[in-house]
Amino acid sequence: MADIIFLLLIFFMVTTIFKMEEGLPITLPRAKSGADQERERLVHVWADRFSRISINDKLVRVSNIQAIIASRLEENRSLIVAFNVDHRTRYGLVNDIIEQLKEANAVNVSFTSMYEEGP
Amino acid sequence: MASMSDINFLLLIFFLVSTMFAVEKGLPMALPGKGSKTVKLKRENVLNIQAFANGSIVIRGTGPVTVKEIKPVIEQKLVANPKLVIVIETEADADYGVMVDILDELRLAKATRISLRTLRASS
Repeated sequence: MADIIFLLLIFFMVTTIFKMEEGLPITLPRAKSGADQERERLVHVWADRFSRISINDKLVRVSNIQAIIASRLEENRSLIVAFNVDHRTRYGLVNDIIEQLKEANAVNVSFTSMYEEGP
Repeated sequence: MASMSDINFLLLIFFLVSTMFAVEKGLPMALPGKGSKTVKLKRENVLNIQAFANGSIVIRGTGPVTVKEIKPVIEQKLVANPKLVIVIETEADADYGVMVDILDELRLAKATRISLRTLRASS
């Protein structure tokens, strides 16, 4: 019994990916229809309500997003850009990011949400 | 020896729980890529939902609504016209959260053709 538990323990230890402390402190919007996203395909774009934008733990300007995402897209064609954006961010900023992604031809996006109790 | 398996068990539960929290949820969407053609749509196949900086939401042709009222209205309109394309027009100064609320309701209403636009403050 203890052997089995020990094996399970090792299994979960190996498979756990700890939540990396990256990006910006934000409060995600809540949504009921959020779908699970494949972690391997995600690249995160963080934006907070003070209009700061962060990718890969670096603060970036809106005009640099296209180049960053384009280079990531070359490594992985099936990339999904996840918007980790504070719910109180100006929509105009989100739109600016979307425009940059369109230019970089990154067509798959996901608006990261926090789970809210079902309908 | 008994305490050893207790510790193992506690650790097991810890890793079990932290694994489950690692899943990320999001509302997926496909953007039009660079150089994609603009598609002309018939006016009757387009439904605009506008979100304003003061938090109000207006469905064109229906009037102001609350977030919870969106789903039944859209479901009804989709039954009447399955080819409906829904355009979310958000004011640049509106909160991002309002747009996500609308998008969430549209996804719950099983709407698949959704387009995002920004309303300029002047319009």
